[in-house]
Amino acid sequence: MRSPEPLRIARAPLRPLLAKEMREITSGRALWIMLLLLCPLVGFSFVQAVWLYGDASGGAQGSPVLARSLSSFDGILVPSFGAFYVGVTLLFPFVAIRALGQEKETGALRLLVQMPYPAPVLIGGKLAAIAAAWVMCSVPALSSLAVWSLLGGHLAPAETLNLLLGHLLYGLLVGAIALAAAAVTESAATAAIVALAVTIGSWALDFTLAGRPGIFAWIALASLTQTLHAFEQGVLSAGLVLGIAAAIAGFAALAAAWLPPGVTLRAKLVRSLACVIATAVLLGAAGQIRLAVDVTEDRRNSFSRADERLLATLHQPLTVTIHLAPEDPRYVDVQRAVFSKLARVLPDLTIRIAAPHSFAASGSDERYGEIEYSYGTRRDVSRSTSPREILPLIYGLAGVPPPAAAPGDDFPGYPLIADGAAALAWFFAVMPLAIALAWSLVRRPPRIDPAFTRQSSKEESHAIQ
Amino acid sequence: MDTHLSPISTNDAAGPLGAARALLRVTGLAKRYGDETALADVAFDVYAGEILGLIGPNGAGKTTLLEAVAGLVPVDAGRIAWCGAPLPPARRRDVIFYMPDGIRPYRDQPVVRVLRFFAGVYRQPSGRVADTIAALELGAVLGKRVEALSKGFNRRLLIALALIAPHPLVLMDEPFDGFDLRQSRAIADLLRGAAARGRTFVLAIHQLADAERVCDRFLLLSQGRLRGEGTLESLRARTQLPAAHLEEIFLALT
Repeated sequence: MRSPEPLRIARAPLRPLLAKEMREITSGRALWIMLLLLCPLVGFSFVQAVWLYGDASGGAQGSPVLARSLSSFDGILVPSFGAFYVGVTLLFPFVAIRALGQEKETGALRLLVQMPYPAPVLIGGKLAAIAAAWVMCSVPALSSLAVWSLLGGHLAPAETLNLLLGHLLYGLLVGAIALAAAAVTESAATAAIVALAVTIGSWALDFTLAGRPGIFAWIALASLTQTLHAFEQGVLSAGLVLGIAAAIAGFAALAAAWLPPGVTLRAKLVRSLACVIATAVLLGAAGQIRLAVDVTEDRRNSFSRADERLLATLHQPLTVTIHLAPEDPRYVDVQRAVFSKLARVLPDLTIRIAAPHSFAASGSDERYGEIEYSYGTRRDVSRSTSPREILPLIYGLAGVPPPAAAPGDDFPGYPLIADGAAALAWFFAVMPLAIALAWSLVRRPPRIDPAFTRQSSKEESHAIQ
Repeated sequence: MDTHLSPISTNDAAGPLGAARALLRVTGLAKRYGDETALADVAFDVYAGEILGLIGPNGAGKTTLLEAVAGLVPVDAGRIAWCGAPLPPARRRDVIFYMPDGIRPYRDQPVVRVLRFFAGVYRQPSGRVADTIAALELGAVLGKRVEALSKGFNRRLLIALALIAPHPLVLMDEPFDGFDLRQSRAIADLLRGAAARGRTFVLAIHQLADAERVCDRFLLLSQGRLRGEGTLESLRARTQLPAAHLEEIFLALT
């Protein structure tokens, strides 16, 4: 007889767990239906974008200045992946919830939590499957890149990869929210309501509150949609990437806290609070990281290389005081066209808004619209929002001559008149058929290992009789 | 080797095997859901190699007791010890496997994949899986999805998972539900064989004839309280019903 001493089951291998999670998520209808819906959604956006890009390119023929404004990134990639973003926001929660909700509803979770995996490993496995599901869902959007390339379109690797990274992080964030919702709630339907309330709610938040002053601006910053803006502008921000990673880890930790059924509600709430505090601290720390890189080919988020080299040599503190309300379009313009670029190259820059509450009361403030610049002991004031006037002003304060324009800095632009009609067949017929075929292959009965079907031994045959 | 336990009163601290130490000792287990008492001061021992029957009507607290012992339900009070040492909830899965009732795990997956998953997690050789498949006559449904299984085959699958898991103590909630008499006897023989090879079982059963056929000892549970504990002989002696079946004993004690 076996010894009754405690049997310590060794840490289980990860491979069967990961394989199971992948099979679970691919055997559900949600993933395949989402893929089928994404085909026409992304395809329509892509074809529309190609037509509009072609129209704009027609006008740019013979005009290098107009041609410079034509970038595949803005014209094709961002709109095509914008459709993918809509799909991820509305449909991906259903795919991600299945990773846990199905096991909860069928009772399989009570078997899973008995296995020798810590809760974070179980959640990590589910998150890995969700990431793999996102990769599958991104196929229609990725195929639009291939189609654009086949049509002769230009793709800049850095800005394209940056955009993909942004969408991956956004997809994982939506997936982690859905996973946490599935862990906290009792049914998959409730989890879907919670997850969609967050994703669609923050979408609405972005629409209604973005650009508003004060507390509304802070609330708008909490919108998930904000996570993609920097990537869509071609900026790779270390703080943003780490912040999204912290949020994903926070939601995953929340899911892990709620996974074990043998824990009291009080203990789960305490662990949840710890998760929220730790995530908030990490988000705060990530917000302090200023490192950001402009990865666009046309350097739209940067000054010319000559300007950047000269600005980097200005070591005294530059203080900018803006007499504009944050919702004023001029503030938005100057922030995007000048100060966000300055922040990445100037060693010591402070930007202040002068008493924003005083602007709202009346427009009678004579100083409203002014922007003060203090560099060392010197000071100047301007109402301009253009870098063409502001940079010389700063150079004047610093007592340095403006740099000479360097040749070869100009972005040539990539006009292209292409026929997107051929792509319709790909997005509306070929790819959906391929997806349906893959779905049927996944649902095919598996091969039975002959070792499993051998006859039972005499002893067991006797036992079952 | 037949390891069926001799009919000795289990209220004796020494246990049914005389000086044998309890494999699992449960003391003062209590659980309330709001105002409702699910378990009240439940205490019992489980000995190595025995099949212990947890008997009671629907709502008696059998499932709650099994889940509490498995660490899947937080309890209000009580201690559980393994071979004399405290066994906290987080460590229970090292030694206890609980087979729940009424679940249909991984319903979109074919049976063979579910079995393969369990075998992979617990590093069990395919020979052992094949033996379990053969013993439970699951060969014909290996390619079927779990959702398409009949109630009986779903139960066989659950029992197969419990037998593939290597834990020394297995808790099963209604293992005979969905089986006819012949099938119940076959499953009972299978469990007896596993117990003879050293595994220990606690079975929650509401079919008293099945319980009488397979269990060495019984815990009689009613309204969350333990009403009796022991072998059939000791329970007959306690109720002074020398030829009584479990049903009559249960009615006499509750």
